Amino acid sequence: MSLSREAIVEGLQHIVGPEHVVTDEQVLVQSSVDNFRKLQNIFDVHTMPVPAAVVMVQSTEMAAELLRWADEQGVNVIPRTGATATEGGLESAVPDSVILDGSPMDRIIDVDACNMQATVQCGVPLQALEDRARELGLTTGHSPQSKPVAHLGGLVATRSIGQFSTLYGGIEDMVVGLEAVFPNGQICRIKNVPRRAAGPDIRHVVIGNEGALCFITEVTVKLFPYFPESNRFLGWTLKSMTTGFEALREVMVSGFKPSVARLYDPGDAGLHFSHFAADDDCVLLFMAEGPPGISRATADGIQAIVDTYPECTQVDSAYIETWFNDLCWGPDKIIAEDERIRQTRNVNRTTEISADWSSIGEIYAAARDRIVAEIPDITMMGGHSSHSYINGTNMYFNYFFNVVGVGPEEETTKYYLPIISIICEETLKRGGSIVHHHGMGKARAPWVKDEYGSSYYMLETLKQAFDPSGIMNKGTIFPI
Amino acid sequence: MRILVGFKVTPDFESLREADWIAGEGNLADGAGVETRYVPRLLNCFDESALELALRLRDAAAGRSFVEPQLSAVSIGGSQVEPFLTTLLALGYGRAARVDVGADVDFAPAAVASILAACAHDSDGGDVLLLGCRSGPGDGGTVPFRVAETLGWPCLSQVVEIEALSGDDLRVTCLADDCLLRVTVRPPCVLAVGNAVVSRLRVPTLRDRLARRDVLVDVLRAADLGIDIDLLLEREPAGLIGLEAVRRARAGVVVGGETPHEKARHLLDDHLRAVIERL
Ligand SMILES: Cc1cc2nc3c(=O)[nH]c(=O)nc-3n(C[C@H](O)[C@H](O)[C@H](O)COP(=O)(O)OP(=O)(O)OC[C@H]3O[C@@H](n4cnc5c(N)ncnc54)[C@H](O)[C@@H]3O)c2cc1C
Repeated sequence: MSLSREAIVEGLQHIVGPEHVVTDEQVLVQSSVDNFRKLQNIFDVHTMPVPAAVVMVQSTEMAAELLRWADEQGVNVIPRTGATATEGGLESAVPDSVILDGSPMDRIIDVDACNMQATVQCGVPLQALEDRARELGLTTGHSPQSKPVAHLGGLVATRSIGQFSTLYGGIEDMVVGLEAVFPNGQICRIKNVPRRAAGPDIRHVVIGNEGALCFITEVTVKLFPYFPESNRFLGWTLKSMTTGFEALREVMVSGFKPSVARLYDPGDAGLHFSHFAADDDCVLLFMAEGPPGISRATADGIQAIVDTYPECTQVDSAYIETWFNDLCWGPDKIIAEDERIRQTRNVNRTTEISADWSSIGEIYAAARDRIVAEIPDITMMGGHSSHSYINGTNMYFNYFFNVVGVGPEEETTKYYLPIISIICEETLKRGGSIVHHHGMGKARAPWVKDEYGSSYYMLETLKQAFDPSGIMNKGTIFPI
Repeated sequence: MRILVGFKVTPDFESLREADWIAGEGNLADGAGVETRYVPRLLNCFDESALELALRLRDAAAGRSFVEPQLSAVSIGGSQVEPFLTTLLALGYGRAARVDVGADVDFAPAAVASILAACAHDSDGGDVLLLGCRSGPGDGGTVPFRVAETLGWPCLSQVVEIEALSGDDLRVTCLADDCLLRVTVRPPCVLAVGNAVVSRLRVPTLRDRLARRDVLVDVLRAADLGIDIDLLLEREPAGLIGLEAVRRARAGVVVGGETPHEKARHLLDDHLRAVIERL
C-alpha cells in the first residue's frame, strides 16, 4: 500500500533531518511545474498534483539513502538542480512525489589546469564554474542561454548544448567522468580518462537520463583555453532559408569549426536584428574563436565560402558582436519576461528538433506553414538553426501566441501541445529527431516510441534494469 | 474623442557595454555621441505604457457602449521607426505616422515639442495627447510641458491610470510625491504617462497584421507641418559634451561558511553583532 503524504514527510525527516525537508505550501505548489507550464506559476493557477516535499540533498550518501527508501516505499522521486527545465521534466505527474533538490551540493571540487578538466558537485551553477575557469584563462566551452541559472547536474541530465557547440560539442562531448546514485542506493563512479574501449560507453546511460534512471551527484568536464581577444564575427542578410541552409552546410562540410553558426528565418531575425535586417530578411551569422591563427583562418574560410553566394549581403560585424555580448538569460531577463507575459498574455515558446541536411529545410517549412494555418492567435512563427554538424543541423522553432478565451492553465492544451504535435509529426515523417537539446521531459514523452523505433527495446530495458519499481521521475521520457 | 500618442523609439541602452559608452567619447568632438547603431531598438518604456493605455481606453469604451476613441500614433524618426508603426496599425490604431526631420533631435526638446504640438493641431490630430513623461538617457523630461504650453492645453504628469467617463471626460490618476491624485479632466489635454502598472504593449496576431497589411504608415517632413527644423535647431544648439559613468555598485560582502548554520553565525558575529550593540 502506498504511503500517506504525512508518512512520506515523516520518513524523509527521519532520514535526512527535518531541516533539509521543505514542506512550505507555496514552495511545493510552485515545484509542481517547470517552464513547460510556466503560466501556472506566473498566474498562480495550479492544476498539477502537489509534491509531498522538497528534500535539500547535502551529499551523495544522503541521496543514496533517500533513493533506497523511496524505492522500497514506492515513492516517486523527481531529481532537480537549477530548475530551468522547459519540457516538464520537473512536473509532478503523480501525487505525493518527492523532489530531490541537489542545489545544496554546490562545491567546485577541483579545477585541474594540467589535465584540463574540472570536477564539481551537481548543484554548481555553470556560471560559477565558468567564472572559476576564466580566472585561470580557461573555459568550459559550454554556454547554454541558461548558463547563469542552470546547474551541472541538470545540464548533464538533459544532454544540454551550448551556443558554442559547433566548436566545443554538446555536454556529451565534454563529460569525462561522473558519479551517480541509482534507485537501489548503488553509488557508481565513472572514472576520468581521456578515452577507453573497455566495452560500451556507460556515461551515456547517465547523460540525458533526465532523472528517470539515476541521480547525478558529481560531474567532471573538460576545460579549454580561452582566447576572447581573437573572436571574429561575421554576418549576412539574405532572402531565402534554402540558400542559408546551403551556405551553412557548405561551411560545415568544408571542415570549418566556427563556435557559433546560425541561420535565422525572417520571423526570428525580426526579434533580434530588426535594426539592420528588413522584415523579410533571413540572417546568417558566424563566430570564429580559438588561437589567433585558427580563428583568422576559420573566419577567412567562411568568408570565402559565403562570398560565393551572391544573395548574401554582408553586414557590419559589430552588429553580430553586439548581439553576441547579450546572449545569456539570467534571473533579471526571466523575471522581465514573466511580467511581459502576465500583462500581455502573449507567450513565447520554443521547440527544437534536428535532421539531416536533405530534410531540415522541408521540416522547417512544413511545420511553420501548418502552425500558421492551424493554430489560432499566433503572433510570431519563426525559428533558427543554431547547432550544426557535418551531416545536418537543428531547427529551433521560436513562436509566440496570445492566450485568448481560456485560462492560463489551458494554454498547453489549446496552443502549446498542438504546436509541438505538428512539429513532432513533420519531423518524424522526414526521419529527424523530435528533441535536439531540451530533453523529452513529459511534453514529448508520448512520441518516444516513434522517436526510437526498434531501438526503443534498448531504452525500455535500461529503465526496467535500473529502475524496476518505476520510482524515478514518472512520466519523464517514458509516458505513464 | 481623438487620442494621439507620441512615442519615441530608443536604442536598447541596456545592451550597450560600458566600453561602448567610453568608446563613444572619442567621437564627441565631431558630434557623433555614443555609438548606438549596433544595438536593437525598443519602445521607450513610458511611451509603451501610453500606447497600451490608449488601447485600453478604446476597449473600455466598446465594453460600455461609449463612442470609441479614434487612436493615432506619431513618432519622430527614420525608417527604423516603421516596424513599430505597422505593429500599431495592426493593433487597431487608425493612423500611424512618422515625422522624418532628417536631423538628430535627441537634445532638442523645444524642436520635438513644436513637432508634436503641430501633429496634435493637425486636423487628424487629437483632443488628448498622450506622451511618456521622459525618454531615457540625456532627456530632461520637459517635452510634455513644452507641448502643453505651445498648445495652451492643461498638462497632467506622472499619469498612471486613465479611465473614460461619460461624455468626453477622463478620470486620470497621477502619482504625486507621496500620494495618488485622481483628477477629472475635460479634453483637450496633454497627459504625460509615468510609472504606470500597465507597462507592456499587447502583441498583434499574424492575422491582425495581414488584415491591416494595406494600411500605410504616413511619412511627414517637418515642412509638411509648417516647421522650419533648421531654424529650431539653430535656436537650440545643444549636444553631448561628455559622459561620466555613475557607479551604482552596492556595498556588499559575501557571507562565508559552508552550511546555513555557519553562514548565520558569520553573519551575526562578523556583521550584525557590532550594529546591534551600537543600538
Ligand atoms: C532561459 C532559458 C534558456 C535555456 N537555454 C538552453 C540552451 O541554450 N541549451 C540547452 O541545452 N538548454 C537550455 N535551456 C533548458 C535548461 O536550461 C536545460 O535543460 C538545463 O540543462 C537544465 O539544467 P537545470 O540544472 O536547470 O536542471 P533542472 O531544471 O533542475 O532539471 C532538468 C531535468 O534534469 C533532471 N535532473 C536535474 N538534476 C538532476 C540530477 N542531479 N540527477 C538526475 N537528473 C537530474 C530533472 O529531473 C529534469 O528532468 C534553457 C532554459 C531556459 C529557462
